[in-house]
Amino acid sequence: MTALSPAPHKMSARGVSVFYGDKQAVKDVSIDVDMDKVTAFIGPSGCGKSTFLRTFNRMNDTIASARVTGEITLDGADIYADDMDVVQLRARVGMVFQKPNPFPKSIFENVAYGPRIHGLAASKSDLEAIVERSLKRAGLWEEVKDRLSDSGTALSGGQQQRLCIARAIAVDPEVILMDEPASALDPIATAKIEELIHELRGRYAIVIVTHNMQQAARVSQRTAFFHLGQLVEYGETDNLFTAPREERTKDYITGRYG
Amino acid sequence: MTKPASPAAHAPERQPTDWKSAAMQKRIRRRYAAERRFRMLGAGAVIVSAAFLAFLLVTMVAQGWRGFTATELALPLDLKAAQLKVTREQLNSPAADLALASGGLEEAVQNAAVTAFGPDGASFLAPSAWVWVRDAVKRDPSLLERRATINVPAATGFDQALTGDGDAAMEAGVARLTRQNAIRRGFNWTFLHESDSTDPVAVGIWGALKGSLMTMAITFLIAFPVGVLSAIYLEEYAPKNRWTDLIEVSINNLAAVPSIIFGLLGLAVFLGTWEIGGRVYGPMLPRSAPIVGGVTLALMIMPVIVIASRNAIKGVPPSIRDAALGIGASPIQVVFHHVLPLALPGILTGTIIGMARALGETAPLLLIGMRAFIVTPPGSFTDPATVLPVQIFLWSDEVSRGFVEKTSAAILVLLAVLLAMNGLAIYLRNKFETRW
Ligand SMILES: Nc1ncnc2c1ncn2[C@@H]1O[C@H](COP(=O)(O)OP(=O)(O)O)[C@@H](O)[C@H]1O
Ligand SMILES: [Mg+2]
Repeated sequence: MTALSPAPHKMSARGVSVFYGDKQAVKDVSIDVDMDKVTAFIGPSGCGKSTFLRTFNRMNDTIASARVTGEITLDGADIYADDMDVVQLRARVGMVFQKPNPFPKSIFENVAYGPRIHGLAASKSDLEAIVERSLKRAGLWEEVKDRLSDSGTALSGGQQQRLCIARAIAVDPEVILMDEPASALDPIATAKIEELIHELRGRYAIVIVTHNMQQAARVSQRTAFFHLGQLVEYGETDNLFTAPREERTKDYITGRYG
Repeated sequence: MTKPASPAAHAPERQPTDWKSAAMQKRIRRRYAAERRFRMLGAGAVIVSAAFLAFLLVTMVAQGWRGFTATELALPLDLKAAQLKVTREQLNSPAADLALASGGLEEAVQNAAVTAFGPDGASFLAPSAWVWVRDAVKRDPSLLERRATINVPAATGFDQALTGDGDAAMEAGVARLTRQNAIRRGFNWTFLHESDSTDPVAVGIWGALKGSLMTMAITFLIAFPVGVLSAIYLEEYAPKNRWTDLIEVSINNLAAVPSIIFGLLGLAVFLGTWEIGGRVYGPMLPRSAPIVGGVTLALMIMPVIVIASRNAIKGVPPSIRDAALGIGASPIQVVFHHVLPLALPGILTGTIIGMARALGETAPLLLIGMRAFIVTPPGSFTDPATVLPVQIFLWSDEVSRGFVEKTSAAILVLLAVLLAMNGLAIYLRNKFETRW
């Protein structure tokens, strides 16, 4: 696999398998995540993309039947090691979910919550500055700056998703995981999210799950194609879409199934 | 068997649906009729229950309002002429009550009644009438030196004769005093600030009301935190295995256990004694007291609170938990910052349903001795006390006619407390729900 290399990566997965009870949902997957590249996971529904993505911030811990084997490192440190604090890990590796899930609180509170519980703001004005910066980075500031005390759930779907991105950004993460962040949105809102991903690239290592191949082609530099829990092909996005090495990849990107 | 027909070739040509055919019209009519029947049934059910409620309220108010009014007699007194053996100094001392009693005040009051209302005048006064005079004298010692008219409570029999329900002698008295213009009807403050008594004129609800409030306070302080914490633990932390299933089934069954069983439990556990190794231990709690009543009722309503809280917590969307966990909230932060605030309206509703049930409960309290004859309101959680429903039960059992209206009046007080509690619940629910 061309992209795998021993050089230091932001995050690396080596031989990761995930089981739900006896059922194996992810089979021996190895992948690298780097700061300057957006990594896309594509593949048909149910092939284990979300499951694998959730191993990167240990969200699978919340599912009683889930079991993870293999090794995942963040800056070289094993995130499943006993001395890794999950709470801190999830602040460093933020997550944006498929369905926008703002807290039923004000827009300001949505963004301020993370910095507050992690003690990132020294004062009220500091907190306000963090909120403003995060909303600006998420491209939402202009739309909401006059109604920060309105409920986050009163925003449109696309705005809610950008609010969730702002919320993730506010705790100053190093990696952002996005699980089909635009699948519940209309084309215009989707375009905004994609644009945003472009702008965030470089500042954060981004991993995005998508079932939309055009989207993967548009936003990512590196793509991993999954099928039935296996990593079928992994490489530079341009190569994977123009010259897939595997028959199954070719079938998928030419729309033969999925 | 038949061989499958090839649909295109052999299926008979389908006629276009005739939506206006008689059969269709009949179907439509039947559908509308069914709709109407169901609506009428529903409306009927609502009307029947509303009628029952209205009937209950009307009877209670009709009978109960007299409980809130008192018949008083304007009694002309000349205490100077009565020559009471009481000095000014005694009046200002703590022994004033005793001095007035031994100084012949009661006799003086009865004599005044005879003078003013005729030979049987004394029988028109309630036995406690002289106590009213005593209190008036203590407030205003100058009454000992002059003539004055003081309102004193009428006897129960007189009060009933006023409603056409007394004996002949009293009826005659009512007629006479009406002519003398000596009958007053006023608000019955006694009923609001006194406790139980053998004389229906002198009874009050305050003792039972205070007992109820104290008992409810204990019940709430135990059942709410324990119930909600159990619910949080079971929903958010407990592993899902056979033991937690067993606990869940037990809690559900406990919610359905008849209340009197909890009374037996309270009696056995809190009031029981154990002899271990020659020494007697217990009882843990004093009999008849709000504390033992409150603990017993807390055990009774805890399952209700646990079940309601668990459902409310279950109703919080998992996506909110994911969102909080996803930015690094710890499990306890997820619970207290996100899950509980969203579940609170449901938790409060369940709690109020439980508290309302506890407030109206009689049977278990009878078993732990809260049916005592309580003439002074409980001063602390360990004093003997009774509660509103038990007081109602006791009064409804009295032979004296005067207790009928007091019973209804007490029911009105109980209903008012219930309404106040529900009102508080609705207020709190709206407050938490409209926050966003
Ligand atoms: N909580 C769970 N418990 C058991 N099986 C699960 C759970 N979540 C997902 N799975 C199974 O794991 C497989 C991969 O699911 P998922 O990672 O959601 O796929 P994708 O995101 O690619 O659509 C599917 O077969 C799914 O049924
Ligand atoms: Mg998925």
